[in-house]
Amino acid sequence: MTIRRAYESTYVINAALEDAEIEAVSKRVNDFITENGGQIVEENKWGRRRLAYPIKKKYNGFYVYMVVELPVDTLTALERFYVLEDGILRDLTIVLDPKLREFRKVRAEAQAIRAAQLAEESK
Amino acid sequence: MAVPVNPNTINSPFRQKKAQPKKRNNPLKKSRLIDYLDPKFLGRFTNDQGKILPRRITGVTALQQRRLSKAIKYARHLALLPFVAQDTR
Repeated sequence: MTIRRAYESTYVINAALEDAEIEAVSKRVNDFITENGGQIVEENKWGRRRLAYPIKKKYNGFYVYMVVELPVDTLTALERFYVLEDGILRDLTIVLDPKLREFRKVRAEAQAIRAAQLAEESK
Repeated sequence: MAVPVNPNTINSPFRQKKAQPKKRNNPLKKSRLIDYLDPKFLGRFTNDQGKILPRRITGVTALQQRRLSKAIKYARHLALLPFVAQDTR
């Protein structure tokens, strides 16, 4: 039995693709993870963003962030999968820091409250 | 025995030979976590060229600076922050 560990993985899909194709790429990633004994804990699609610098002559990217539990030995396979997948421009997978995850949640809540307050004030 | 400092002489133009760089006190709480996926926050610690500012200017602690520089580099990899800002090219 291999050890499973929580990772956070972010990848950037070429935003010049059609929505259906982007969906297909992220589905392929998810299938790859589940087939290799991993589990997706959280998936968060940020949507299209402008890249800070062009990658492969593309100026926009579709960001997907997820928290995954993976057997340790399939991590290299996942990284290889990202590289081989044509639609993916960039990827980053690092060990999840539970404190950081908590911190993000708290901040997101605080921001939501602030946004709600601003919306009320402008009414 | 401590010599009492005359507050007038500290800011006197005759006393100041070197211009001191502005150091911000306590820009971050010690417990503040550094999120590599938050480009707005990380952008405060880079100059307009996109370079990482030294902590002599930002005033963060050594540990925070190490975490910041790592986080900025992760963010650059994901194209959240520029390696070189485009306007200065």
